[in-house]
This record gives sequence, C-alpha cells and structure tokens, in this order.
Amino acid sequence: MTMNRIIETNSQEAFIQEMEKVQDALPSRIDANPKNVEKGLAKLVLTLVELIRKLLEKQAMRRIEGGSLSEEEIEQMGETLLKLENKMQELKEIFGLKDEELNLNLGPLGDLM
Amino acid sequence: MVIYTYGVIDSKDRIDETIFGLEGAGVYNVSYRDIGVAVSELREKIQEISDANVLKHEEVIETLMTKFTALPIKFPTIFNTKEDLLSMVEFYYQDFKDNLAGLRNKVEFGMKVIWPQDTIKQRIINACNKSNHSLSISTDSKAKSFLKEKFKQQQIEKEFQEEANRCIAVVDDYFNKIATEKRLKKLQTDNLLLNAAYLVEKDKQDDFKKAFEQLKSTPGDLKFLFSGPWPCYNFITLTKKPSSVDYFNTEDMLNRLLAQQGFAQERNAV
Amino acid sequence: MDRQIKTLQDKNSYLDLQREKRITLLEVLDRALDKGVVISGDIVISVADVDLIYLGLKVLLSSVETMERLRGAPMAGAQEEPT
Repeated sequence: MTMNRIIETNSQEAFIQEMEKVQDALPSRIDANPKNVEKGLAKLVLTLVELIRKLLEKQAMRRIEGGSLSEEEIEQMGETLLKLENKMQELKEIFGLKDEELNLNLGPLGDLM
Repeated sequence: MVIYTYGVIDSKDRIDETIFGLEGAGVYNVSYRDIGVAVSELREKIQEISDANVLKHEEVIETLMTKFTALPIKFPTIFNTKEDLLSMVEFYYQDFKDNLAGLRNKVEFGMKVIWPQDTIKQRIINACNKSNHSLSISTDSKAKSFLKEKFKQQQIEKEFQEEANRCIAVVDDYFNKIATEKRLKKLQTDNLLLNAAYLVEKDKQDDFKKAFEQLKSTPGDLKFLFSGPWPCYNFITLTKKPSSVDYFNTEDMLNRLLAQQGFAQERNAV
Repeated sequence: MDRQIKTLQDKNSYLDLQREKRITLLEVLDRALDKGVVISGDIVISVADVDLIYLGLKVLLSSVETMERLRGAPMAGAQEEPT
C-alpha cells in the first residue's frame, strides 16, 4: 500500500498451503465451551505424559548405545518402552487425539516437542 | 463503545492526516507524556477475526509508519476505557520508549523457504539403511527389534534436523550481514523449512532486495517467498511482565480493605 | 481462436490475483495475529464468546484513586496492621 510492499515467490500454491496449515494451528477464538474443556484437559495431560515418554526413550537409547547395560537390562528396557508406546497409542485413540495435537506452544520458546 | 488500538507512536501530537480505521471510524492519538497510541472507537468489541478487519488494521499501521515510528499492536487489542489504555501505557512506558528508539528508521522483511521435505527424508532414510551405524544389539526378541528400529528413527530425525540447519544457514548467509537483527523459525511445518524475519535499516532496503535476487538465481529445488517492507512486528520486546502483583499487592490490598471495614464497624458499635 | 486464448489468459491472471490476495492476507495474519506489541493482562478485552474481564479486578482497577489511597496513605485511627 503506502509502503510499496512487494511479495515475490516462485510458488504461490505451495506457500498458501503451508501458511494455511500454520494459521489453522493458531487459536483465533478462546474456547471456553464446557464441552471442550474435558478434551482440553486430556490433551494437556497426555501431552505431558508424551513429553516424559519421549525423554525416557531418548535417555534409554543413549544408555544402550553407551554399552553399559546387560543383555537382560536392555531386554527389559525395550519391553517397557514398547509397552509405553502402545499404551500411548491406545490413549490417543480413546480420546480421539492425533500426534500433532499433543504439543504445547510456549510462545517465544517455540513448541514443547 | 470501546477503544481499538493500532500502534504505539513516538509522538504526543494530533495525527494531521485523516486516517480511517475499523468501522470507518477516525484514527486519533491518545497521548501519554512524549508518546501516544493510535486508536479509533468501535461500537462494540470484535466478535471474530475477519479478513477485512485484519487488513484494515495493517493498512492503518502502514499509514502511521509514513509519519512516525510505530510499534504495531497485535490484532485485536481493545480497551474498555481511555483510563485502562493509559494505565497500560504507563506500565509499559519504558519498554515502548526503548522499542521506538531501536526501531526508528527500520523495517522488517520476511523470507520463507519451502523445501522438498519428502525427497530429503527419503534420501536420509536410504543413507541410514545403508550405513553401518546402528544399535549393536542382537535382534532376537520383539523388544530388541523395537529398540533397533527406534534407534534408526532417532538417527533419521537427527540427520533431518542437521540438514535443515545446514540449508537454513546457506539461505541466512545472504541476508545476515545486511540486516540489523533476525528471527529465524525452523520447520514450522515439515515443508516450511524457514520462516524468517529480518530487521533492516531503511537505507539498506535496496541491498537487501538485491541479496534476494542473488539467492533466487541459485540452482536448487527450494521455493522462496520474499515479502516486505513490513512494520516491525517480530522485533518488539517487552521486558515488563504484568501480574496482579505488579499492578498492586492483592493481599496487602485485601488486608487494608478488611481493616477499613473493621474500623467502620467499631465506630458503628459506639 | 483469439477470443479463446484471451479467456484462458484472463482466467489465469484472475487465479493469480486471487492467490496473490490470499498470500497477502496470510502474510498479514502471520504477523498481526501473533506478534507486535502483545498486551496480556486483565484490562485487555479478549476476542471470545465469553467476556474474559475479571470483574473483581476491573472494579479495583477502575477506581485508581481508591487504590492509591489504600496502598499509600496511613489510615487515621486504624488498628495496628497485621504483618
């Protein structure tokens, strides 16, 4: 307009697609609808559980790579992690939540996961 | 009737030019000491975010920028009364002054990059499959197979992130030295490799545009979106944080209120 | 023949214009909705179904005089204040 702004791209379609994805993720209305509050609570709890689970996985892999664990310990670790992953999958299905939904936006710090 | 705000400006004077804002209302300056907030009056608070309103908001800020240094305010920011607005400006006064000084004669440019995420991931997966670097454990159980697969996934993800960092560094290199400051956002979506904002001095705008021309002409399968100049949305920092403790001490206040009540009761008893 | 081509060209430039408008809007939204001077706090009216102004706080804030008086001035005849 008054600033002689230019917008130049070698692919309008691709950027429209991506930017719309970004916009869809933003809350443009603050949802105080009681029906959705429960789902919101489940989402929050599962997000935190997912965070812990992923951290556990990373830590476990590091220890296994490090070579300081016995065969038996590795086997147990693997079984536990496998069970945790399956359990989370179950919970996500029960609450109808997708992987991408289990994340928290921390503003300037970016996303939690 | 509520007060809709567009931007903080470095002036306490009346706005000479006639600027029309939301609902066609006139934009005027609410001043506080040596700065002000450009506002207009709305009949009632905005119920939803409409394209027209957001674009009008942006248009007003850009007009303000032709005459003042302006800090764009997030859409929508509305106050019930002028007093509420002024108490906010009082609270953030130093922050506003600092930001106005830092952004004087500067503009923002946006640089977004899309990369062929699928192709790159496939390339990395192929490389990982061939490589010898894997978890050195036997795969004689479901648990162990799980671990081996998990390790591979982590390797792939790590490589993916590193490749993203490399690509971003290459792009950023074109603009780094010309810009005063930058904000880089990596992989906002899998395909949106980079969403960057660069703070550029007004008289370096042409250099900046030239840098984009150079980047554009490099071979490769990256897609670019270059936009600007914009008001400096991404370069505003407020250091003061509001909390009820900052405005006043709630507990202290309550105690005093109770004491006042107690005092009144005592008098009545007499 | 000429007329046909003209229509196709018109259609393409129309689509381009629509896309351009869409991108402009998305670029503005990317900035204005999320960035800039972000005032948080109870005196800002939020866009919502529910009015998110906390009435108690609003009542306290709107009476600046009372607030100053309560916060600063010692009260004549008041008992010793609890610490």
